[in-house]
Amino acid sequence: MECIRLEYEVDGENFASAGNASESVKRTLKQLGVSPASVRRVAIAMYEGEINMVIHAHGGKAAVEIYPERVDIYLKDSGPGIADIDLAMKAGYSTATESIRSLGFGAGMGLPNMKKYSDEMKIDSTVGVGTTVFLRVNFE
Amino acid sequence: MTVSEFAQKSGYAVFCKGEDREITSGYCGDFLSNIISRAPDSCCWLTVMNNVNVAAVATLIDCACILLCEGTEPDEPFYARARQLGLWVLGANENVYEASKKVCSLCKV
Repeated sequence: MECIRLEYEVDGENFASAGNASESVKRTLKQLGVSPASVRRVAIAMYEGEINMVIHAHGGKAAVEIYPERVDIYLKDSGPGIADIDLAMKAGYSTATESIRSLGFGAGMGLPNMKKYSDEMKIDSTVGVGTTVFLRVNFE
Repeated sequence: MTVSEFAQKSGYAVFCKGEDREITSGYCGDFLSNIISRAPDSCCWLTVMNNVNVAAVATLIDCACILLCEGTEPDEPFYARARQLGLWVLGANENVYEASKKVCSLCKV
């Protein structure tokens, strides 16, 4: 069966629009009748990815493929890259600035949350080039 | 108890109105990553954060209402987004602890 493919530009300078892509995916999945628990997992994993692109990478592109039994999410940015992925995955580790923290981000839970709420997660990152994150969420 | 009943009985400020829903639990927190992963659906979310990302997170967690504590008021982008998304935003002068006691006693959650 053919998948539904959605694409979004994530605006890196605009905290006001951060979350728009996740919200749109959430709405689409709800309309397709996906279970609320699965919708929530997708929305959380994707929102964290979206926020990471805004905070760390001046935005990027998100592509979402919806299949009958799962969602695949590709988040691609041309940001600074992640030097030490294992360290970045540690709960509580964050490189966010004080001004980002004052907005309620920077708890060091973004990547751990993405891992927790997805069934598969792959990070490809090159310092100075950018980062691509793949997330797969299987429906319950 | 529904959000509109809670707003009326608590006497809290109403900054924005949305779909009237039952409040079935509560959650207190300001770190958005904690909230999106832990706050239960249909909760009353108590926070002192007042920026636009609060509205985005409230939509993702599908909370019944946002209760801004300690006299916090939504800034303009937050207010605009909350209206657009149809979110309830209430305001209390009490601190988070005192306001959550009121949520407990009025909503029996």
